[in-house]
Amino acid sequence: MSEITNSIRRLRFDHNEMTQEELAKQAGCTRQTIIALEAGKYTPSLALAFRIARSFDCRVEDVFTFSEDASTE
Amino acid sequence: MNAEQKRAWLSVVTMSVCVVGYLVLLPLFGPVVAFAAFAFYGINGFAGLIGRHEKIDERDKNIARRATLAGAMASYGAFILGCMGAWEVVWHLQGKDMVSVHILPNITILGGIVFFFARSIAILVLYGRHVEADNV
Repeated sequence: MSEITNSIRRLRFDHNEMTQEELAKQAGCTRQTIIALEAGKYTPSLALAFRIARSFDCRVEDVFTFSEDASTE
Repeated sequence: MNAEQKRAWLSVVTMSVCVVGYLVLLPLFGPVVAFAAFAFYGINGFAGLIGRHEKIDERDKNIARRATLAGAMASYGAFILGCMGAWEVVWHLQGKDMVSVHILPNITILGGIVFFFARSIAILVLYGRHVEADNV
């Protein structure tokens, strides 16, 4: 099973303390989805992952981290 | 709590009221009249008014699709079990060799009830746990 973690919460605070609502608006999703993402309860689609990364002006790899160890279990 | 969860809670609560109503009316008026208790579930026809302008995203669509699938599977299972149960009761317990034609509509209604109930439960469960996105 794959394990994808993210640093959305840290990036939000690094970007002028962006609120979850603001990020949700920019990424085209709901605030509830951002909450689920930050809590690690939701793995986004590629499209949403790219939109979130673009909201922070960075690459997808800077936001999401794929754990190789978990995928080879 | 978003609109889908509110609708799911409304469905679960009204279904619970229907089942309690059915169990109360059953010994008093028999199964045919007691079945009318499920008419109360019709209040869910207004559930579409809850948060109809609320924005939904890929996670909501994903959960709704999975919950619908879970409801359909539960409904199919209930239909099969209902058919087998009817046959078991009529053939083995009552010793009759024919099943009444009135049983099939009742089993179909049971399948519908199970579908909506299972779908609502699945929505509430899926919003509370990890969900993988796919192509939605």
